[in-house]
Amino acid sequence: MTDATSRITVNGRELECRAAAHLSLLRWLRDHVGALEVKYGCGEGVCGACAVLIDGQAVNSCLVLAAQIDGRAVTTSAGLGSPSGGLGRLQQAFLDRGAAQCGFCTGGMLVTAAEFAGAGEALDRRSIRDALHGNLCRCTGYQAIVDAVDDVLRDQGSSSPPAGGWT
Amino acid sequence: MTTVGGRDEVQRSDASQLRVVGRPLPRTDAAEKIAGSTRYAADLALPAMLHTRLVRSTLPSARLVRRDTARARSLAGVVAVLLGEDVPHNEVWVDVPGQQTEVRALKARSQVLATGRVRYHGQPIALVVAESEDVLAEAEALVDVEYEELPGVFDPEEALGEEAPRVHEDGNLLAEWHIDSGDAATALERAPIVIEGQYRTQFVDHAYLEPEAGVAWLDDDGVITIRASTQVVEHFRDIAAILGVPQARIRVIAPYVGGGFGGKEDMTVEPYLALAVLRTGRPVRMVWTRQESLLARPKRHPMRLRYRTGAENDGTLVAQDIEILADTGAEAYLGALVLLYSSVTAAGPYRCPNVRVRARAVYTNHPPCSAMRGFGAMQVVFGCEAQIDELARRLQLTPDEIRRRNAIREGDRLPVGQQIVTPIWLGETIDQVLRAAGPRPEPSRPHCRVGRGIASNLQPYGRLVWLQDTAAAWIGFQFDGSVTLRCGVPDIGGGQAASLGQIAAEVLGVDPARVTVHFGDSARTPLAGTSTATRQLYMSGNAAHLAATRLRDQTLDAVAEAAGRARGALRLGPGGVEGGGEPIALPRALELVRGLGVPLEVLATFHGPRGRAVARDLAAERVFPDFTVGTHLADVEVDCDTGQIRVVRYLACHDVGRAINPQSVSGQICGGAAMGIGSALTEEIVLESGINLTAGFFQYRIPTALDLPDIEAIALESGAGMGPFGARGIGEPPIGPPAATIANAVRDAIGVRLTELPMTPERVLAAIRAQAHTDPPRPAPTGP
Amino acid sequence: MYVRPFGYTRPASPLEACEHLRRDDGAKVLAGGQSLLPLVNLGLSTPSLLVDIQSLGDLHGLHLEGEQLVIGASTTHRMLERDAQVRRVAPLLAASVREVGNLRVRNRGTIGGSVAHADPAAELPMCLIVLEARYLVDNGARVRSVPAADFATGFLTTRLAPDELLTRIEVPAAGPDWGWGFQEVARRAGDFALVAAAAIARCEGTLVADLRIGLAGVAPRPVRCPTLEAAARGRSPEALPELAPLVDPDIAPSDDSFTPAHYRAHLARVLAIRAAQDAARRSLDVRAA
Ligand SMILES: Cc1cc2nc3c(=O)[nH]c(=O)nc-3n(C[C@H](O)[C@H](O)[C@H](O)COP(=O)(O)OP(=O)(O)OC[C@H]3O[C@@H](n4cnc5c(N)ncnc54)[C@H](O)[C@@H]3O)c2cc1C
Ligand code: FES
Ligand code: FES
Repeated sequence: MTDATSRITVNGRELECRAAAHLSLLRWLRDHVGALEVKYGCGEGVCGACAVLIDGQAVNSCLVLAAQIDGRAVTTSAGLGSPSGGLGRLQQAFLDRGAAQCGFCTGGMLVTAAEFAGAGEALDRRSIRDALHGNLCRCTGYQAIVDAVDDVLRDQGSSSPPAGGWT
Repeated sequence: MTTVGGRDEVQRSDASQLRVVGRPLPRTDAAEKIAGSTRYAADLALPAMLHTRLVRSTLPSARLVRRDTARARSLAGVVAVLLGEDVPHNEVWVDVPGQQTEVRALKARSQVLATGRVRYHGQPIALVVAESEDVLAEAEALVDVEYEELPGVFDPEEALGEEAPRVHEDGNLLAEWHIDSGDAATALERAPIVIEGQYRTQFVDHAYLEPEAGVAWLDDDGVITIRASTQVVEHFRDIAAILGVPQARIRVIAPYVGGGFGGKEDMTVEPYLALAVLRTGRPVRMVWTRQESLLARPKRHPMRLRYRTGAENDGTLVAQDIEILADTGAEAYLGALVLLYSSVTAAGPYRCPNVRVRARAVYTNHPPCSAMRGFGAMQVVFGCEAQIDELARRLQLTPDEIRRRNAIREGDRLPVGQQIVTPIWLGETIDQVLRAAGPRPEPSRPHCRVGRGIASNLQPYGRLVWLQDTAAAWIGFQFDGSVTLRCGVPDIGGGQAASLGQIAAEVLGVDPARVTVHFGDSARTPLAGTSTATRQLYMSGNAAHLAATRLRDQTLDAVAEAAGRARGALRLGPGGVEGGGEPIALPRALELVRGLGVPLEVLATFHGPRGRAVARDLAAERVFPDFTVGTHLADVEVDCDTGQIRVVRYLACHDVGRAINPQSVSGQICGGAAMGIGSALTEEIVLESGINLTAGFFQYRIPTALDLPDIEAIALESGAGMGPFGARGIGEPPIGPPAATIANAVRDAIGVRLTELPMTPERVLAAIRAQAHTDPPRPAPTGP
Repeated sequence: MYVRPFGYTRPASPLEACEHLRRDDGAKVLAGGQSLLPLVNLGLSTPSLLVDIQSLGDLHGLHLEGEQLVIGASTTHRMLERDAQVRRVAPLLAASVREVGNLRVRNRGTIGGSVAHADPAAELPMCLIVLEARYLVDNGARVRSVPAADFATGFLTTRLAPDELLTRIEVPAAGPDWGWGFQEVARRAGDFALVAAAAIARCEGTLVADLRIGLAGVAPRPVRCPTLEAAARGRSPEALPELAPLVDPDIAPSDDSFTPAHYRAHLARVLAIRAAQDAARRSLDVRAA
């Protein structure tokens, strides 16, 4: 088959994906769904700018075909907002800490952080660095990013998740 | 006090009076970037848009025997395939400043699309334009290019030989600078202590996360509009020259850029997009792959440095003799200027009466080298600070003592002749890192050793004075009291636009959220010059400050007149016009102003200091507006069995003058330090006989979060810089010290100096093995 | 990023998958895609059809079958990393898989893909030869079992025929008194190893009774170190370092443009001993407990 049809939920919206079979999830999201917050940075799985969640797990959307994820739910960084439409907890922490400079890595960082922040594990700073090491950032030296994630995980340790989770 | 045309007095401000400036407010652009709604260069799609891709040379040096596009053109979906012959002006001539051939000023030639020969691997040869991205891969492969391989030259020393293949007809020497201050040769002969060393730096890539991209279209009135990821909207002039159309017909828009670091200072996608639009009349998008970006976009110059440093027995520097050989690759780009920065800063932030510098930049068949954060002033720190460190060891002085003893001060002259006209807080930056560092760490395992190192640097901010730099800004009140600021500055991720908004808000007394900044548009925002050379806060910041100050003054003058209040009592603040009675809300006050026919806007131009062009023999009262100094400290742990270096602690302190936005400042410092650590340890573009083997992000290793320790950024605020509110530039300076800092720390840990970047584990092991076991006793180098 | 278009199919059975592979020379198996799709994106692999085996339910998941751990080829790295049984029965696998790439790669990448791709620096195939695993290979008509040690034949090449699927991996459980060790040097966090070493060991008294060592990154395929293994028997863990040169006969590192062979050889010696000592100490700890 050269054209594949599948149903994919993107940030809560169920969409029919009728796309050429060779289309990566990255290209489908950007060119067909308009989810432009998902970025191309390398196409090799190294940089993490293209990261999205599939059923809650962070993946490289450049290394997944849209055709492969029939019936699954995709969350991009734009889907991490609060239910009321403002910034979500992680996003707010990124803002407070100045964790976005050029902002090109930011969506992927948020998505990766969302996976492990959502798992509710208590992580020290080194473990945060370990969990984020697959997301490259050339602007921040990671300092503000680690600070932001650290803030969220600390809050999380001291209270129970709000409705709708931490993201 | 404001700064006006031609003069460059320092603006001193009382930090306690500031309301917006200096506060860690989230940048205005950050929320959208975090929410994912910022639209970068590749994010635009227009109806009936075409897609393009370059066909690039597979060889580093060859004659193009045949270029046949017929097969590619016949592929369904291909709209056009362009060759050099299709480019209206395919010869681009660039001045090489200060350089002469025997008969004339040196100009360098390059081609937009190569026709006769190719000079580096990845050089563009043809441009494929197609209806869909999906046919580009095949179309590219169908362009037949037949090469006749020519001998190439891949070593800058060899390139200078009589017999070496010529990369360009004028010969392989692109640029040469000399500095002779005092008599270094004699001083070295007489000096009781002489340290010698040779150092090498590598090809480095900017590796911003956003690959080069843009969309272009033909707008009304025949204006070709190019919205691209760039640091320089002023390239519209170059594009017009290539296309042979009036400059007024080209418009360049720089949206928020996903990182620049100098790599988007030269043109990347712009001429190709413009050509495709010119040919087809349709909107066109071009996105380079990461692999293309690594393959052939200009790199940081690798340099070979030879230093001889002479000192008295008490550590006072008496002479430095410095030779610099830079591999500038196959095209001129900004190579001559990069080398100029190296030459001027090579002696470091020290006073030294006798300095000789001989610097050359040489063509090879390597990828071209050009601007990158630090711009030549970065590489030389690796040599200079190694020398200072070795000198301290020889004299059993601590590294901070030797630096303090020789630190340059206000009023001193650099070897080039430029006088330092602002206070230099070098000693303070050293104090700060030492105080913050605390005790040295202990080795975590038996086969590991730890060490501590520091290094300092001096980096210019603002452009070379003979470029007569200017920046303009337009600022206006809207009727409701909100503020519109227009300034041509591209925002490359450093918060350039947001900082301007903060400055305007400070001066006009409004909430920063009420200021909207329009930036980066060569046709619709006043030109502010390039987002390069750590100049934007200094230049555009001053322009915005000037415009805002004039707007404030003319507004208050008019209100005083209309409302019959004493002018001296009035100020702009949160309540609108305050003083001399009940506050007048801003909209009402502006109504009064309009009633008098006084405009609500100001266009202001800020002029940087001016100077005369330099010649090969550098001696100038002034080369740069001013400098930023800093000191870094690293604790490292070296695994003596595997050779791995782990940075366990990192501190970076710079005198930033005034932190307009402290968050942006520490972001610049941490980011610069991280990039420098990458250069120190893992990053390198690897070439073999001119073939670039660094095929992607698997091979080009920028540090990850796990490779870095927490980086502590310390911003000192002398208030003594030439930017608004006494700010200095901080974009580039933090890239300077890291490699030397780490090399000094490794030296401290294992007793051997690494002289080549990157300091890979195999190089560490080789150095340990080569080491003689009899090391002279070393003092503990640092520690309060 | 600019890929040549290809087709995609999701077979319902191994048989159907193998038929696709037989019919179409350009067809390739797609598992987690974390090795194949980077090659496709870079234009280094130009398949005509991708046969997605993730739809084959039998290939997912892992369970204990008597004395062995049976792992479906489509089991992701992340499942291995998190599974309590793996941690108990094959702690070497649990530890080494954490060094594979990054979180996102481990969320998608599969053990079968890693084995079939046969990157000489990959962690899992090396650990599997140390654990003396067996691989089940299916062409839709016939299933055969191949010892892990015989599977890879060279750089990115294996004994898999073009129409065969790797379906499962059988890992014999080492006894409770075995310890394990894993060591890796990479140029950067998450990178492929320059050299990685895995070891399992069993001690009697204070001496090494049994030791198996594997190395990745020092030959076109992962290797065991029989010379060193034999010499280690009957020695104390502290006495192992002097045996380091005995890895030399079993490795064949080559120079590449990024890393000299002599450095890989050096790392092989250092890491083999570190892994072996860790394994022996863990075995002693178990016996002490
Ligand atoms: C950034 C990055 C870093 C990485 N770092 C590491 C690392 O440090 N160590 C490491 O080991 N790996 C690393 N990998 C690779 C990763 O482990 C892959 O997941 C793995 O090598 C391949 O598994 P896959 O399921 O993704 O296979 P795929 O990519 O889908 O397939 C790989 C190859 O195997 C074939 N194949 C797959 N499954 C089968 C099967 N069941 N039967 C027959 N043929 C099959 C495919 O046809 C293809 O040729 C990295 C990958 C990336 C992108
Ligand atoms: S673009 Fe997908 S990881 Fe870089
Ligand atoms: S903020 Fe620019 S890459 Fe991370």
